[in-house]
Parts: sequence; C-alpha cells; structure tokens
Amino acid sequence: MPDIVVAEHLVKRYGPRLAVRDVSFVVAEGEVVGLLGPNGSGKSTILRMLTGYLPPSEGTVRVGELDVRKDSLAVRRRIGYVPEDSPLYEGMRVSEFLSFMGHIKGLFGRALSAAVATACEQLQLERVFKMPIGKLSHGYRQRVAIAQALLDAPRILILDEPTNGLDAYQVIGIRELLRSLAGQRTVILASHVLSEIAKITSRVMILANGRLLTADAAREGGSVPAVCLCVAGPAPAVSAVLRNVDGVTGATVEPTQDHDDVNRYRVEFLPGTLVTGLLASTVVAHGFGLLELVEEKPDLEQAFLNLTSKAANLA
Amino acid sequence: MRVFLALLLKEEKAIFTSPIAYVVITAFLVTMGYTFTLTLFVTHAPTLVHLFFQIYVLFLLTVPIITMRLVAEERRLRTLELLLSAPVTEVAVILAKYLASLSLVGAMLLFSGAYAVTLGIFGQPDWGPIVSGYLGLALLGSALVAVGLMTSSLVANQVVAALLSLSVFLLLWIVDQLGNFLPDPFNAFVVNLSLLVHFRPFATGSLFISDAGFFISVALLGLFLSVRALARR
Repeated sequence: MPDIVVAEHLVKRYGPRLAVRDVSFVVAEGEVVGLLGPNGSGKSTILRMLTGYLPPSEGTVRVGELDVRKDSLAVRRRIGYVPEDSPLYEGMRVSEFLSFMGHIKGLFGRALSAAVATACEQLQLERVFKMPIGKLSHGYRQRVAIAQALLDAPRILILDEPTNGLDAYQVIGIRELLRSLAGQRTVILASHVLSEIAKITSRVMILANGRLLTADAAREGGSVPAVCLCVAGPAPAVSAVLRNVDGVTGATVEPTQDHDDVNRYRVEFLPGTLVTGLLASTVVAHGFGLLELVEEKPDLEQAFLNLTSKAANLA
Repeated sequence: MRVFLALLLKEEKAIFTSPIAYVVITAFLVTMGYTFTLTLFVTHAPTLVHLFFQIYVLFLLTVPIITMRLVAEERRLRTLELLLSAPVTEVAVILAKYLASLSLVGAMLLFSGAYAVTLGIFGQPDWGPIVSGYLGLALLGSALVAVGLMTSSLVANQVVAALLSLSVFLLLWIVDQLGNFLPDPFNAFVVNLSLLVHFRPFATGSLFISDAGFFISVALLGLFLSVRALARR
C-alpha cells in the first residue's frame, strides 16, 4: 500500500516549551496505527498538526500528494477528526449538529441525508437523534463526535483518545467499528491506554517527551518474537533439533507435570523471520509428537516500558 | 457560498436562541422609549438627535455583551478545534460571526425606527438628519462589532473579552479629551481616533466621507485582526 501520511521532522514549540521534537513517520493507506504515550507526550499536538489545525513550527506533513500547510483546505476534506474529549455544540440537537457538520464538509440535500443516516446507523444514534447534545451521556457524545468525522467518508480518520471515559460495552463497540474500517480507511488514533491500543491497531508508535521512540513498537521495542511448542520426545534431542532451525536464536525447556516425555519449549527467533511452519515440519520430520504450537504476541507493555525507560535515562 | 451560509445560520441561531439577545433588545428599547418620550415632551421638536446620542452610548455598553462569546466561548469549549479542522477558512468563520452579530445590532436599530415613524405620523421631521443619524449608527455598530469580535478572538474568557471591549470603546470615546493635552501634530491624530468626533456630524445631519471612512477602516482592521488571532492558535 502507498504511504498516505508522511510526517517529516515535525517540531512544535509553545513559546519556549518544545512539545514535539523532530518527529518523522509514515502511515500507509488502509493502516490502523496507534500513537501511544504518557500524558503530555505530544500525541494530541501531533494529531492536530496532521489535521492542519495547528501549524508545525518546523517540518512538513504530507497527506497523499498534498502539503498540510499549503493545501490545508484540501487536506481537511480528506480527514475526519475526533478531538480529545469530544468538544461539541451543546445547544444543538444531534440531528442539527450532524447536518451542520455535513454542510461545512460540503454535503447538501440527499447526499447529506444519506451520510447522516449511515453515520447514525454505524454509531447507533437513532435513539438520541433529536436530543440536545448537552443532555447526552459521555458515551453518546463520543459516538456523535465519531459520527461527524465519518460523515463525508474521509480517507483518513484521526481520533484522539476515542475510548476515554466509556464503559466496557461502549469501548467494545468503538473498537469493533474501528476494526471494521481497517482496509477501507486509514485510521490514526492516539491513546495512553496500552491494552486498548494493542487491540485496535496493527502498528503502534510510541512517544515520550515529544520524541518518537519507535514507529513500530512490536518490531523495535525490544520484545523478542517467540513461539511456544508442546512436544513429545526426549528433551535434549528436541532442544537440539529446535536450535538448529534457521533463524532460531534460542530454545528453553519447561517440563510439564502430566507426562515425563512431554515438555514445553519456548523458541526465540530473529525479528522478521517466519519460523513457525518450519519449526512444526522439523519437529514432525524428526519423529517427535507435536501437541501444541502457539505464536507469542509481541509484548507491547514490555516494549513500552523498555523504550520509555531508555528515553528517561537519556533525558 | 453554501458552506458560508451554513456557518452564518449556525451563528444566527446561536445569537437569537440566547437570552442575552432578548435582554439586550429589551433594555435597549426600554431606555430608548424613555428618552424619546422625555425629549419629545420637553423640547416639542420632531428630532431624533438626542436619541442618536443615547443609542451611541448604549451601543458602547451593549456591543461587548453581544460579541463577548463569539470566539471566546468556542475557544473555551474547544469547538473551535472541531470547526477549524473541517474544510472552512478562518475568514469564513469570522465573517459569519460578524454578520450574525451585526444582524442583532441591525434589529435593534430597526426597532428604534418606530420612533422615527411616530415622528413622521404626528409631526413633520426633517428626514435628512434622521437618515444620516441611522447611517452613522449603522457604521458605528459595524466598527464596534468588529472590535468586539477581535477582543473575543484574543481570549478564552467571555467576561475578560467583554471588559476588554468595553475598555477599548471607552478609550476611543474619550480619547479626543486626551488629545487636548498633546502637542501638534499628535493632538490632531489622537482627536481623530475618537468615535464621538466622527459620529457627531452624522447625528446632526452632516455627512463626511472621512467619518464614514473612519468607521469602515476600524471595522476592517477589527476583522483583519480577528482572522489573524484565529489563525494564530
């Protein structure tokens, strides 16, 4: 997929304070990317610069072939944005608000009615459609904010802490919605909730103190890719076979309690090598019984802690 | 254009669904009614000159209340972020807010037209000074709303915005008094910054392009600075 968002050497100063320091990254079309970082790490500032709301002090942002500064209006037509804490016009009804946002995004007549109906259906807003926004619960407000962002079917959806303050059911609903958009739209979302971002996104970028620590936490965060196998056979022989597979960097054995001859192995391999299939076929080819094979998910939490503590030490 | 109309409609609704608009109009009309009746009984002259000066003062006091929330409230509630991340320009946002506020000032002037109609029915007024007086008030209102919008664009607190506008208006009202204490050529410059100096000829039936130019310049400067303040964020 081609890159749709390219940020190069972004810097943002608020007076003497540096909020964002030389941040560069790319996002491919159709990707669902997360921006993870502690409070005050510069996530919202970066998102605001991507939308064109805040001009960068230095650096450039390109959306497709457009420069956010020079072609600000054209860029904003391609982006749907949900700011943090869903600022909405309290005095308007949901229907009025969605119509207004549709109008300023260039939707009128039937196109507007269809867009509003689709967004309401996606976000399940029918029940509160005629209610004033000021009387809505936090969850509904958040959904209204997302609905307005989806109105003109933007190519890029940018969300700042979209699940903040939502209950478990609402979080699941938003998560499912964002997952369903993967492939159709590029989604960039910021959050400080690690578990949430891991469930929604395909790639996580980590920020701290305005610096981008990694553009792919799973790959660069220090977490080692690994596979867990349950194999029937003598432990020394199985270990030797596993260690000989190309790309494998180590294998540890952990005996199981049920059978003497069945052991659990954790095999670590080099990032970027796909050894799962090779391990399975090698084990079977040597006549051992393969009872279980589970690929370990990258430990995002460990990656986050490694990177942020390194950054803190450097600072 | 349709996008601008949507912005304008939103602002008009925000102004005319707010109790502030009706409180301001009511206070304005009650004060005007009292002044008109009193002046007519005392002078027995079919003129609105006193009324125009009264409206001049009331505009200085009420325009800050009308304009204080325009941008400051959006900044405080952060709806400005929502608005300006959509494909609309700062110029369109400011112009929509300006015209909507101006429509409230226009409505106040329109209602005060009842006094001119009353004079027309029961007396034989000289219509020239009445027309020029209303023209002067319209120009004064345009300039004051632009300055009020500018101060609202600078801060996130409505009360501060109102006080700031009021301070600027009062300064521009009395600035000609300060001019008397200054040497040439500063005195002429300072005196010419006065709202009253430029409004007085309109109220008394004299039209000068320079006076109209002053109010138009203040309005344009206010609008320009409002757009700059919004773009600054």
